[in-house]
Amino acid sequence: MSEKRIISIFKKGNKKRQRVKQVAKFCINDHHDILVEILRRLDGPSLCSAACVCRLWSAVARNDSIWEELCFRQVAPRPSLSLRSVVSALGGYRCLYFVCIRPVLARLPKLLWSRDQLQLSLSLYCVHYYERLYVGAWLSDAPPSSLMFLRKPVNVV
Amino acid sequence: MKRSHQETSSVQEAPSISTNKKIKLKEEDDNMDDELLAALGYNVRSSDMADVAHKLEQLEMVLSNDDNAFNYNNTVHYNPSDLSVWAHTMLYPDLDPTRTTPSDECTTSNKRIRLGDSAYTESTTTRPVVLFYDSQETGVRLVQALVACAEAVQTENLSLAEALVKRVGSLAASQVGAMGKVATFFAEALARRIYKIHPSSVAAIDPSFEEILQMHFYDSTPYLKFAHFTANQAILEAVTTARVVHVIDLGINQGMQWPALMQALALRHGGPPSFRLTGVGHSEGIQQLGWKLAQLAQAIGVEFEFKALTVERLTDLEPEMFETRPESETVVVNSVFEFHTVLSQPGSIEKLFATVKAVKPVIITVVEQEANHNGVVFLERFNESLHYYSSLFDSLEDGVLLPSQDRVMSEAYIGRQILNVVATEGVDRTERHETLVQWRKRFGLAGFVPVNLGSDAFKQASLLLEIFGGGDGYRVEENDGSLMLAWQMRPIIATSAWKLRGGRG
Repeated sequence: MSEKRIISIFKKGNKKRQRVKQVAKFCINDHHDILVEILRRLDGPSLCSAACVCRLWSAVARNDSIWEELCFRQVAPRPSLSLRSVVSALGGYRCLYFVCIRPVLARLPKLLWSRDQLQLSLSLYCVHYYERLYVGAWLSDAPPSSLMFLRKPVNVV
Repeated sequence: MKRSHQETSSVQEAPSISTNKKIKLKEEDDNMDDELLAALGYNVRSSDMADVAHKLEQLEMVLSNDDNAFNYNNTVHYNPSDLSVWAHTMLYPDLDPTRTTPSDECTTSNKRIRLGDSAYTESTTTRPVVLFYDSQETGVRLVQALVACAEAVQTENLSLAEALVKRVGSLAASQVGAMGKVATFFAEALARRIYKIHPSSVAAIDPSFEEILQMHFYDSTPYLKFAHFTANQAILEAVTTARVVHVIDLGINQGMQWPALMQALALRHGGPPSFRLTGVGHSEGIQQLGWKLAQLAQAIGVEFEFKALTVERLTDLEPEMFETRPESETVVVNSVFEFHTVLSQPGSIEKLFATVKAVKPVIITVVEQEANHNGVVFLERFNESLHYYSSLFDSLEDGVLLPSQDRVMSEAYIGRQILNVVATEGVDRTERHETLVQWRKRFGLAGFVPVNLGSDAFKQASLLLEIFGGGDGYRVEENDGSLMLAWQMRPIIATSAWKLRGGRG
């Protein structure tokens, strides 16, 4: 509940009076672009928590540029535009993060996130996309998953 | 049990848990050691057989009922090769400690495969002895039985082989884990060979089912992924400046290798080249496969052209079929587990090499199983493949925890290879794997020179395996410019790259 409403309660009595434009206290929910800028600077777990705050934030968090930033934070040089179009075609950075990058990081927490890992994740992601597109339709009973190994717990010998 | 000369009788199996398999014996002399069991290293007089069988039955009951009797610290191992004494002392352990005979190793042929330590220790304790049922022992016995059966097949002693293969079957049923599964497959293959069940029924399997099996194998193990990623890396490095890339895939299957390559090409510096794929395969689904790859290509912005070539055998391929455009395009030939299939017919490999040379590829990427399953002597082939597939099954067992359907399908995929290696001959035996050293010779003679796979491929492969998990079992090994994927130090598959001698690139 914003301050605007509180102030309007005070003004209740003066309906005929010109409605005074109140400069309410700043509310982030009114400024989506700033919200995006802030979320872009978060790390993975925090970003996921932020996306669970409310429906508005969840919708804002679907903005792919936030996740792009997350994927490329430690990687230099910056990705080209062609990469962005390829990844969007394959389902977007958000999916890439959840399907490939997060499990990989969880599996190997000490892994230094570099271009090589990103390249490999992209390849795996592409295979995953293709598998669901082509083979998934054909093996209807049990859709295959080439990324199953990322999701299943590993028998650590 | 009633007996008479020249009459076959049957005894209980030793020591099996589930089924009642019977061994048929031909006995000539009651006091001679039974010949079948002697082949396996057990000395039992034929006259004692009934008694031994009875005791083993009792022993089985005791073992299954009384698990608490197992005490791993106080064990005495009696000489198991003398079955009647052993059975007696196992059943009545307190009775006669002086009957412990000194430890004696089972010896059969010198072509045994050891899977673990089976040293029998002698203990001089006078404490009450307890029973210790060693499943490693069963594993060793299983392998010994398998090898003995193969030997019998080699020497055309089919009656002995028949008896042994049944024994293997029952032993395998009681052995859990990778060893039991491998043994079951090998026993089936040996049985087919013995009973001359010719594998036209095996070979004539629906190719789309074969592809489903391979798909499950792809998903559950890193071998195919390793193959694809390393081959793709070699291709990428060879076509860095090409404007049109034409890949000829000698075994397209599900086309799982190409999405990753297309994605890498799409992100290439200087923009993606035009990508042309010619897929050689068997099934009718190839056209649809081409459509889907085209969809992917369009999504990621790569110009794509696809051609399907359905041929019975790779030797039916002629250079004109590929319709290469040598002025404008760079040709690449890729083969994952395909080259060895043409070794079944003499002269075929030379024809295939000639066809490949005629299209003038800048690079040929080859992935093959790292094993020699093409020896002339059956027994050598058998031993080699037993080793190889045991490792392979082991890796399935110890790796990622698989859902049962994937595991079963992957095992079926491998099982079909085992059947082919062991049970078939001649033209039908298409799984003629050869080692990298052997392939190097062949490629060298045909006029190709090796191309080093480079450190990027090594890095990618290592990373893939790290992510894949499975403990420390998987290792990438570099071998003179080629890469091998090994499980517990045993190389399983090898990727190599070749180019024409004197060619560009």
